[in-house]
Amino acid sequence: MEISVWAGWIAGIAIGLFVISHFWLLGKPAGCSTGYGNLCGLMCRKIKFFRMGEYSNLNNSKLWFLIGIPLGGLVSALTSVDSWHLSFDMGMYDAILPQTYSAKAIWLIFGGMLLGFGARLAGACTTGHALVGGAMLNPPSLLAGVVFFGSALITTHLLFGL
Amino acid sequence: MMKILQKVNIFALIMGGLFGFLMSRAGATTYDYHAKMFLFIDFQLMEVIVTAVVVAMIGVFLLKKFQVHSIATGEQVDFVKKPYQQGLILGAMLFGIGWGMTAACPGTIPAMMAEGKIGAIFTFAGLLLGTMAYGVLQTYIHHEHPTK
Repeated sequence: MEISVWAGWIAGIAIGLFVISHFWLLGKPAGCSTGYGNLCGLMCRKIKFFRMGEYSNLNNSKLWFLIGIPLGGLVSALTSVDSWHLSFDMGMYDAILPQTYSAKAIWLIFGGMLLGFGARLAGACTTGHALVGGAMLNPPSLLAGVVFFGSALITTHLLFGL
Repeated sequence: MMKILQKVNIFALIMGGLFGFLMSRAGATTYDYHAKMFLFIDFQLMEVIVTAVVVAMIGVFLLKKFQVHSIATGEQVDFVKKPYQQGLILGAMLFGIGWGMTAACPGTIPAMMAEGKIGAIFTFAGLLLGTMAYGVLQTYIHHEHPTK
């Protein structure tokens, strides 16, 4: 379905204010990918990594932040001009991704695995490193942000064959 | 029950909802905006992130200057920075490949599922598997196989 989108600068200001509000309300930086570890810890109790350190308490704000995201996405979809419906359409990507549903699914699972593994190996994702880390001018985050972007840029160019 | 209803978690739920809504309205949950940015066709998402980082930077400066205290904890806001860790560059490269392949990132995927995007369900499954793999690897390195 087509989501109604704001002008870039308006959405940017709103997201900037979100980052500030998150600091003010919760007292710490916002982040998304860490919460996936909470879900892993809840699903599989045997993996010690998801039972210690930052994962010693799984019922924390990282988990609840992640649970909140789809609620906001749903509100956005329901208030868009286009009505809510299920769709496997991927826009421009449909021209270059595998054409069968099963192959497309495998492609996306594999891409998702790279996102999940890469985010943990890098310590954070686009939100924690590029957005919030960038706002704090944290050197490792700026480095990660540049590599995220450069790597995705090269991948996209290879996929679209330009 | 009290633990589940902690104030911090309620705030986090609300902030997560706001984040999902804003990611969606920014166009970050729409596949084509990612391709268009990386192919230099449309800079919507670039405009979003640059504006957001600048606004947030000013906010962080002000919060620090006035030593603002957190509403949820009552303590001074912690501007803890993610440290450099071994594997950061490799991890960031893998992440970028995943970003290019799926036109999504960990923060947008839950919102995309709620928008009815079937593809996002598979990417979400992959995200859990990838995170799980990292946890298994770390557990193996540090616990099952302690260095002697």
